[in-house]
Amino acid sequence: MPLIRRDDNKTAAPREPVADAAALTAALGDPDPDRRWRAARSLGSDAGAVPALAAALAAEQLPQVREAIMTALLRIGDAGAVAALLPSLRAQDAALRASAIEALQAMPEATLPFMTALFADADSDVRILATELVRNMPAETATPLLCDLLAHEPHPNVCAAAIDVLAEVGTPAAIPALQACASRFAEVSFLRFVVAVAIDQISGAEH
Amino acid sequence: MTRPGAGPSVAISQQDVRRLCEFLYRRTGMSFADNKRYYIDRRLAERIAATGCGSFADYFAMLRADAEHEIEHLVNSFTVNETYFDREEHQLRCMTASLLDELLTRKGPDETLRIWSVPCSTGEEPYSIAIWLMEHWRDVDKYNIEIVGSDIDTSALQKAEQGIYGERALMRLTRDVVARYFKPLSPGKYQIDPGLRESIRFTHANLVDAADMAQYRDFDIVFCRNVLIYFDDASRRIAAENLYDCLRPGGFICLGHSETMSRISPLFRIRRFPDAIIYQKPGADHDEQQ
Amino acid sequence: MTSNSEAGAAAAPRRILVVDDSSLVRLYYRAALEKAGFAVDQAINGIEAMEKCLVERFDLVIVDVNMPRMDGLSFLRALRGSAPEIASLPALMISTEAGQQDRDDARAAGANFYLVKPVSEADLLSHVALLAGAP
Ligand SMILES: C[S@@+](CC[C@H](N)C(=O)[O-])C[C@H]1O[C@@H](n2cnc3c(N)ncnc32)[C@H](O)[C@@H]1O
Repeated sequence: MPLIRRDDNKTAAPREPVADAAALTAALGDPDPDRRWRAARSLGSDAGAVPALAAALAAEQLPQVREAIMTALLRIGDAGAVAALLPSLRAQDAALRASAIEALQAMPEATLPFMTALFADADSDVRILATELVRNMPAETATPLLCDLLAHEPHPNVCAAAIDVLAEVGTPAAIPALQACASRFAEVSFLRFVVAVAIDQISGAEH
Repeated sequence: MTRPGAGPSVAISQQDVRRLCEFLYRRTGMSFADNKRYYIDRRLAERIAATGCGSFADYFAMLRADAEHEIEHLVNSFTVNETYFDREEHQLRCMTASLLDELLTRKGPDETLRIWSVPCSTGEEPYSIAIWLMEHWRDVDKYNIEIVGSDIDTSALQKAEQGIYGERALMRLTRDVVARYFKPLSPGKYQIDPGLRESIRFTHANLVDAADMAQYRDFDIVFCRNVLIYFDDASRRIAAENLYDCLRPGGFICLGHSETMSRISPLFRIRRFPDAIIYQKPGADHDEQQ
Repeated sequence: MTSNSEAGAAAAPRRILVVDDSSLVRLYYRAALEKAGFAVDQAINGIEAMEKCLVERFDLVIVDVNMPRMDGLSFLRALRGSAPEIASLPALMISTEAGQQDRDDARAAGANFYLVKPVSEADLLSHVALLAGAP
């Protein structure tokens, strides 16, 4: 019989002894990527580790380890963790921006208090990415946030990004803001198109 | 369309269906051709009635919040989600036709090949893997193979250990195979042969619990089918990292056929084999890309 | 720049993969491209795009930059580094990022053209024609 069964659970190499928080935060800067990965993975239940994780995120070059750091922050999930992730929205590296949006999107309650400031950010690229962060919020929270943004937003791409989220999560209360936006950008055919689709989709829920 | 027991049917517009499909596509990767929309309409109406929602908007809010695992219920309502022997045979074929050859180039003759079925539910999947290897892999006698099945549900695990199945679960197996690996118990009931039952270890594991998952290391192939897609974003991400740690460098992970890593994690490499798309933990060899 | 034109490929329309996380953007491109006679498939991020490119044949990929789980630049680098049949697939990158660095990054990752959103239908189709020819 070529099938074998091992009933002890000790197939894996013996685990390293459980390290304390200080040792783990130190390991975030270890030259060995495996150790950095493991340290980040172990720090996800320790809100005190946020500053160390934030510093590690800023320095980390390996995508896998960055993922693990962001997952740890997302598991901690408090305002400090959000603040640690936000700078990555401004990164020149698109992969870093992508991971950060994904992590922030998974912590909608903690992200909510930051939305007003993010939607008022001077950088339109940041405002565009920020629209994604409300996608997992309840419709009643997301709709007014995005409508307020639409009302003042000068940049068509930010509007389009907000409209895309509204098409999924918006309530019919968004329709006037959508119509106003379409008339403000009447010369941009793309915006007219997306507003029409979004209104159609949102009002489908009305009857 | 009212069904016995269902409340008055709620109006569903084409736009509602489109919105629902866009949401499902983003969340799960499942997409439906326009000609399947009618079918979705019906399932959707059934789910709205079953959940007691008064409108599509209420139902959609419930779905978005994934209250009471509604995403799973909805997806189950339009996919066949029954576990049976040799479900997703193309992956088993891929394993014997491609994955094992690649894995064995890195293994010495007395190293064990380790395969994990998680979640294994009531055991059909790990037993199918074992039977498939014995039936279809020419080198099966040359290597030691260890198969572990794990699930969070201990009552499912008990059933897996008993290995008793009805005709339906065996529908994909030939009479020969059934005769070789099963013992008839009573009309329509079959039990896995004791030798095979005893050679597979069944254990409890929670995919999102890192401490739990830390007991599982050094697997060459992990079958993780039809579960991750139902997790929320945070759980998917945590489970993917846990699974990453359970694999050897260069080890493979097989998802269910309607699941895609594009909704789960960027940690793995995408590999295309003649029979299937399989994901791989990087780091085994020289051909390191990315 | 490859243009992938096969002599006398009259029968099947040219196939374009649209990769963007915005459903409205995908819909906009799809409407314009289908009206022009192309066949269109979609992906929501770089991983799904890679999965599709590995199993299906496309004549052009239109790809966004900012997408969850795998961004457009990482996707293009992976594509350009994969098997020869797909490594030379023409790519039109269309993003909201308008800086010179963004254009340089796109070129370095393997984009054949880079456009900044919002893109008009005419602009889209003229660039598609340059890379994929007639439908
Ligand atoms: C649909 S079954 C899939 C069974 C089998 N892999 C297949 O494809 O036929 C889903 C299984 O996932 C298990 N499950 C759900 N959450 C889990 C978790 N966090 N960890 C481990 N298993 C889990 C359930 O108990 C159930 O048995």
